[in-house]
Amino acid sequence: MSTLATLPQFPWLSLLVLLPLAGALLCLLHSGRPAECRALALATSLAVFGVALYLFIYHGQGDGRWLLYEDSAWISRYGIRYVLAMDGIALLMVLLTAFMQLAAILLAWRVERQVAGFFALLLLLEAGLMGIFLAYDLVFFYLFWEVALIPMFFLISVWGGANRRRAALKFFLYTLVGSFCMLVAMIALYQIHGAQTGVYTFVIGELLHTQLTAAQEGWLFAGFLAAFIVKSPLVPFHTWLTDALTEAPAAGSLDLTGLLLKTGIYGLIRLAFPLFPNATAHFLPILGVLALVGLFHAAWSAYHQDDIKRLLAYSSISHLGLVVLGLAAWQLTAWEGSLLLMVTHGITTGALFILVALIRERTATRSMQELGGLWGQVPCLAFFFLFFSLASLGLPGLANFAGEILVLLGTFRAHPVWAVAALLGVVFAAAYMLRLVQGVIWGPARSERTLPDLTLREWLMLLPMALLVVWLGLYPAPFLAPLHGTVAVLLAGGLP
Amino acid sequence: MSLIDLLALLPVLILAFGGTAILMVGAWYREPRPLLAGGIATALIGAVAAGMVPPPSLEIAGLFSAGGYARFFTILWALLAAAGLMVATRYIMEKRLGAGEYVSLVLYAAAGMALLSSATHLLGLFLALETFTLAFYILIASNRRCEMAAEAGLKYLLMGAVATGFMAFGIALIYASSGTLALPDAALRMTAAAGGLQPWGLLGWGLVLIAVGFKISLAPFHLWTPDVYQGAPAPVGGLLATGSKGAVVAALVGMLSLAGPVWHDLVDLLWLLAAVTMLAGALGALGQKNLKRLLAYSSVTHMGTLLVGLLCQNTEGLAATTFYVVVYAITSLGAFAVIASLADQRGEPMAFDEWRGLGYRHPVRSAVLVLILLSLAGLPGTAGFMAKFAVFQAALQSGYLGLVLIGVFASVVSFAFYLRVAMLLFQPEAPAVQRHAGTAPEHAVVAVCTAAVLVFGLFPGILFDLIGRLLP
Repeated sequence: MSTLATLPQFPWLSLLVLLPLAGALLCLLHSGRPAECRALALATSLAVFGVALYLFIYHGQGDGRWLLYEDSAWISRYGIRYVLAMDGIALLMVLLTAFMQLAAILLAWRVERQVAGFFALLLLLEAGLMGIFLAYDLVFFYLFWEVALIPMFFLISVWGGANRRRAALKFFLYTLVGSFCMLVAMIALYQIHGAQTGVYTFVIGELLHTQLTAAQEGWLFAGFLAAFIVKSPLVPFHTWLTDALTEAPAAGSLDLTGLLLKTGIYGLIRLAFPLFPNATAHFLPILGVLALVGLFHAAWSAYHQDDIKRLLAYSSISHLGLVVLGLAAWQLTAWEGSLLLMVTHGITTGALFILVALIRERTATRSMQELGGLWGQVPCLAFFFLFFSLASLGLPGLANFAGEILVLLGTFRAHPVWAVAALLGVVFAAAYMLRLVQGVIWGPARSERTLPDLTLREWLMLLPMALLVVWLGLYPAPFLAPLHGTVAVLLAGGLP
Repeated sequence: MSLIDLLALLPVLILAFGGTAILMVGAWYREPRPLLAGGIATALIGAVAAGMVPPPSLEIAGLFSAGGYARFFTILWALLAAAGLMVATRYIMEKRLGAGEYVSLVLYAAAGMALLSSATHLLGLFLALETFTLAFYILIASNRRCEMAAEAGLKYLLMGAVATGFMAFGIALIYASSGTLALPDAALRMTAAAGGLQPWGLLGWGLVLIAVGFKISLAPFHLWTPDVYQGAPAPVGGLLATGSKGAVVAALVGMLSLAGPVWHDLVDLLWLLAAVTMLAGALGALGQKNLKRLLAYSSVTHMGTLLVGLLCQNTEGLAATTFYVVVYAITSLGAFAVIASLADQRGEPMAFDEWRGLGYRHPVRSAVLVLILLSLAGLPGTAGFMAKFAVFQAALQSGYLGLVLIGVFASVVSFAFYLRVAMLLFQPEAPAVQRHAGTAPEHAVVAVCTAAVLVFGLFPGILFDLIGRLLP
């Protein structure tokens, strides 16, 4: 018994990162045999999902401390360590990633061209995302932060739509500029901390207590913010997203909106806020206003789109504005709502992107002008479309509602004016979502052709998502439970 | 020269005499394969000798050092020569060049680069520099039937001659003001005590710097680079881009790490050179439509970044610069090796149109090329990132925030043009024609470079520890 207790803990977190990486390599080795690649990718992502679920069930409870922590030396010259750490928020993001990735793999099933490459990139992206959510050393985090860009870049530039190359470059360079600002700020923080304490390290936990002057803190915070705001994206920096989402292949859009965008907000929570508490306090009002502007601007833009994929892209930006607003309110309920909304938005909008892809496969168009009347032609598909649209606009009882109401309640307590404004924004969401539903599934059918309804594979994608949406809407407590402690600690200005 | 000196010089002697022997044999026996094998073996023996035979003294005739740092670069350049010959095999056989001449020239160049990296005396520096430059004049134009190569050779010759002039005049001025050519004395005596001659000495150092600028293509002396890279065959280009520049930078590390008083007078000039070079390289590369020209401009940017490391003037900066040189040499060689391995009777793929869709014909080498280009750009996880990280880290520590920001801007621009190539390679609608499948030695060089890019990217500690122990 005593020997068992001293055994090192099984490296579950490394497994989460390494499994998809191994799967990607295996896929590349089986290039030329598409069927095997599909099976491999599915098996890998099922395994990752299994691990994530196991962690959720058996390691999901904690009082705001790290649930799991792995630490070993890496590049000792610069005090860079291999640290993976999981708290309640990371756990939720890991779970979301593993779940969405399953859907992405199923959605990519029909890809015909360069199958091995496509699945390998999807899995590589998953590894990068897991790393972003788990890494707890600045350089280690930066490694994943950048590495996750590469697969998305190729997914867009090789398998994307007509303007794919421009969109891919724009996506990469926009985010890159932000990342480089963050890199410089990281090194500067490292040196300031090293000069003060004599300990040169990039481990986030140790950098927390660096004494910074107001000017230093402001600049460093700005460096980090540049990376995360572009990625989130807040409104003046959002133009890359609509292009990238519109041009990306279906599975790519799913991962981009469901997961990659969340890394920006996650970075704010995990790095920017705790490292620079004073600068954060000064910046929160600006962040709140930016979020509100984004919420309205994106909703307004969404209302005027004809391309349904573009409409959903703007709706994503609008929702993320609400998430950021909740964070800016700096209040327990609002934060929990924001985090929940991050997850539910991933699922509902992800499902809508899947449905857009399915509609596109059947009708060869994404223009609202040319769509309509799908209710009569493909009732099951149209039902799911209606269901997820209603979930997305925040119908009570479905997933987004729980998150939105928590955000609004929390924000109201801290900043009543913001909450009232945000409420109007939510009404806007109803407007463009209903317009979407009206344009796509109601009205007269635009073609006489009979369209095939959902296949078994498509049911397998959509049904679990739908059930989850109902569950999250009616009883989100199990998903909020791991958050309580962590959020309380974060709001108090610390980390676990 | 005593026996002890000769023994300390052993690795270079092996390269030089081995080269001469192969040249002689090649005059009668014209079968290329054994000659090339002999050349590769000589280079490897030279590397082993540099690594395994401890030098009896640490300095050679007051001209060169035989310390760990010098030996490290001797090994590196000898291995580079071996790799360069492996990549050149098919080129020599297809173009029916004299294998003996080619092999001996590469070995001479390696010997010259090894000497340059170990120079501790301005005269030794000058001699070594001329030795390998002379070899390169011939190597670049070795294929007489190719007009581009002849043009490139001539350009390199003219620029080299100008640089030699600057160098010789600069050295003369330094001697006039300091009374010595030995390093570091030539620099240390440049204090105010040197009296009225001090400005001439400084001018001398400035002229030497210009000559160096020509050799490693710092802006505004970089304009020859794209033309020469484009004209030179890839196996030679690989050596030119890596060894010839790396050896000069290695010598510079030795020179500047010692040059106390001169330093303060030159620091502003170096700052400006670094900034202009990084920007000129990055912006120049943007409009290119030819991979070799792109690599040329990219090398300009890299040299600017290296200069930032040199500017830091502390062990941090020197370690970072040395790391950068090694990584840049390996990565660049990999890029040229991929180009050489794809060459066939149509020549080497150069123009972007020839690369379009090549990823579907030659997936492995295309993927490797993408990895190498991303390493040149500085993607985390590759050696190129650690190199840039180390340099920026050292520069921030020394307070060069402005240079770091310029370097960051140049990196963003670099990503843009490297990614364009990556996109071209995997452009789906334009399947390229089949190119050469490559030979085993070519694949070996590419594989070793790729492995090094990943290993030094993920575990840079190995190389940093080594460098830390060797720095002068």
